[in-house]
Amino acid sequence: MKKVININFQGSVIPIEETAYDILKQYIQSLRNYFANEEGKEEIINDIEGRIAELFGETLKKGTTCIGDEEVNKIIDSMGRPADFDADSDFVQPNKTQEKTNYNANFNEHKKLYRDENQKVIGGVCSGIANYLNIDPLIARILFVVFFGFAFLLYLVLWIVIPSSATKVIGSQRKRFFRDTDDKIIGGVCSGISQYFGINVWIPRLLFLLPFLSFGFNFSHWNWWNLNHIWNITFSPGSLFVYIILWLVLPEAKTAAEKLEMKGEKVDLNSIKNTIQSDMEGFGKKAKNFGEQLSSKATIISKEAGEKAKKFSEEATNKAKKSNVGLGRILIVFIKAFVYFIIGIIVFALVVSLFSIGVAFTALLPFKNYLINNGWQNVFAWGTLLLFIWLPIIAIVVFIIRRLTKMKGHSSVVRYAFISLWILGLASFIGLIVTLSKEFKYRNNPVEETIVLSNPSIKKLEVKASSISKYYDNNWFELEHFAAINEDSVFVRNIIVRLTKSTNDSFHVTMVKLSNGSSKSQANNLVSKIDYHIQQNDTTLLLDKGIVITPLDKFRNQQIIVTIAVPIGKRILIKENSGWNWKTNAKINFGLYTTNGFSYGINNNSWEEWNNDGERAYHWNHNVEYIMTADGLKMTENNNLETLLESLDGKVDGEFNIDGNKIKINGEFNKNREKNKEQLKKEYDETQKKADELKKELEKQTIDSNKKVISKPIVQKSNTNSLKLENDFELENFIMMRFCI
Amino acid sequence: MDIQNTQSQMRKGVLEFCILSIIRQGEVYPSDIVDKMKAANLHILEGTLYPLLTRLKNAGYLTYRWVESVSGPPRKYFIMTDIGLQFYDELEKTWNELAEAVKTLTQVPNK
Repeated sequence: MKKVININFQGSVIPIEETAYDILKQYIQSLRNYFANEEGKEEIINDIEGRIAELFGETLKKGTTCIGDEEVNKIIDSMGRPADFDADSDFVQPNKTQEKTNYNANFNEHKKLYRDENQKVIGGVCSGIANYLNIDPLIARILFVVFFGFAFLLYLVLWIVIPSSATKVIGSQRKRFFRDTDDKIIGGVCSGISQYFGINVWIPRLLFLLPFLSFGFNFSHWNWWNLNHIWNITFSPGSLFVYIILWLVLPEAKTAAEKLEMKGEKVDLNSIKNTIQSDMEGFGKKAKNFGEQLSSKATIISKEAGEKAKKFSEEATNKAKKSNVGLGRILIVFIKAFVYFIIGIIVFALVVSLFSIGVAFTALLPFKNYLINNGWQNVFAWGTLLLFIWLPIIAIVVFIIRRLTKMKGHSSVVRYAFISLWILGLASFIGLIVTLSKEFKYRNNPVEETIVLSNPSIKKLEVKASSISKYYDNNWFELEHFAAINEDSVFVRNIIVRLTKSTNDSFHVTMVKLSNGSSKSQANNLVSKIDYHIQQNDTTLLLDKGIVITPLDKFRNQQIIVTIAVPIGKRILIKENSGWNWKTNAKINFGLYTTNGFSYGINNNSWEEWNNDGERAYHWNHNVEYIMTADGLKMTENNNLETLLESLDGKVDGEFNIDGNKIKINGEFNKNREKNKEQLKKEYDETQKKADELKKELEKQTIDSNKKVISKPIVQKSNTNSLKLENDFELENFIMMRFCI
Repeated sequence: MDIQNTQSQMRKGVLEFCILSIIRQGEVYPSDIVDKMKAANLHILEGTLYPLLTRLKNAGYLTYRWVESVSGPPRKYFIMTDIGLQFYDELEKTWNELAEAVKTLTQVPNK
């Protein structure tokens, strides 16, 4: 069964089979290409078309109902194909150069990118591009040579991707890449590949299928973005991606001619070798030609430039306006080039970033089990990943490729399918959010546990993380290597440390376990499963590094709030990797459903209180030593006196570091005091000098004694307004430099 | 050296002369030229003939007139012009000389 169409051919109506029409159309096009440079091109084509029409008429008169493939091929055979003309007579193409430009003319007509086989130096990429952009191939070549490193890869890619101009000539044995829908399972991509390479259909199928077996188990392919993984993509879960792109990009072999083209000449290793060999043989010669061309062009250009400059100066004196036109044109060209360049970069960045978003979301997959319930939520999660995130990525990549290759647009069916699938993805995304937020709807009753310290009245407390073998190094969005996931548990560093002021002179540590859940009891249940330890070991406090979450319990924002009450005048240091401060304290708050959850405050320990009890409690930094003052935490490490003095306020009693000197400050400070800073600084310098002298003296005096000498001067401040220096030797051999301000 | 290549080279040289000689005998339709040449065992493709005729016409050696046809679009019948006749005479002279030369040369080894 074949479709028959009526065409108006040279003034007569011809019923013709669609496939036959395609063949005829291609034949005429090939004649057009062949005679492109002939003087009476239109007339010749007209004559031949007229003759074909006449032959059609004769065939139809004999009683044939319509023109089929056979008739068309017979007529074409009697007329002769362009390939036969060459063998038949050379005089049709008087010289070769004409033939060369013949393709160019054709390209300009159609604006389709081909590699120019006739003007090539290596693969014809540059001349093809030059034809396409209507510029001198020389310019394209120079640009390629200038940006050699990058351009080399690009050249290879383009060499492969861009069809050769030879494909334009019918009867040439070049193959084209089609999808073979006659022998398809999904989209006919594999069968198309097998046709192209002349191999068994099952080979590409197996290559595409194999990676799927490992898809579920191996995520290392998607680890992070590096070149190795780009290569890997071909034989990784990316095969799905590659398949879909090929499906969309490759045209389907519909007509008989296309099906023939698909099979084409057998491409085996030998023919590839031959092509490369013949290309390489000509390369030396061509390179030489190219060099000559370059030098001659250069001289011509320089000559022209000289003339033009001369002309320009002449004209400039006469008509300044005229020359502006030329300059303006150059400027426009430059701006155009620049704009294209920017657009190119933007498009490239867009694709890359979209792709990495997709990869990042795929990388989160291993954590799915720790967050998402089976059943609908799981479906939503997959729907979100595949349809909401990956689908538009693929769509955009395909769109860009199709735009670049100027392929015909897909039917609206495909577009609507895309859109509706994406809407489905959006719906599952919303479903995921809604169901997940339900899971986070309620909160547990917070209960404060007091951690008993064995020695609460120490002078300084150091907080460290006790080592667990597996944990997440940073906050829970920046996940370390997947290897850190245990088979059945994941560690979440959702530990927040608050620093408050102690009411007496000893340290107090309390801990609150918090969790969300789909119900109050579930939240309480989850909290009871949190296994978290705090231990005191002399002057160090050891906190567990993370909360263990199992796929059974799921992550429901379980967190630990550790409150350390620091007595006034005592110091605290929190080491890295232990707990969160205000910088990393990411509050997860699904605002939609909080109204019910918040009002359950028992024993005044409501969530509100924990989350809002003065942000200052969280305002500390890792690896910085603090001292508790009546006014709150103060850093003990200060680089210069001025900032220290400015920061002091109220009652202060503690040691501070200035320029490596330990200074003991004891006294009350009025923030609004009007004290000349310069004077203070002078006092400090003087004191230091004196302290050094004293130190030397002291060393002499105490050299025999067993007592330790603290070499640094200790400056003591008080709020009195007079300054005096006293030399007090205390029991511990501190040098007390008493500043009285 | 390819035998087919040499043969077609020899054929090509005389093709133009043969076509002109057919047209000289009277008004003719291109497909008739093909038929006549085929009858003389000299094959030519119509696709090759049309461009050749167009070029001879453009050079002024030929002219044509339209004739209505029952089986399709109007046909182009080709006639020779006066310049064409002069051109043909030149070619004929060359051909006769060439034929004579070839004859003499090829007959020598037979004796």
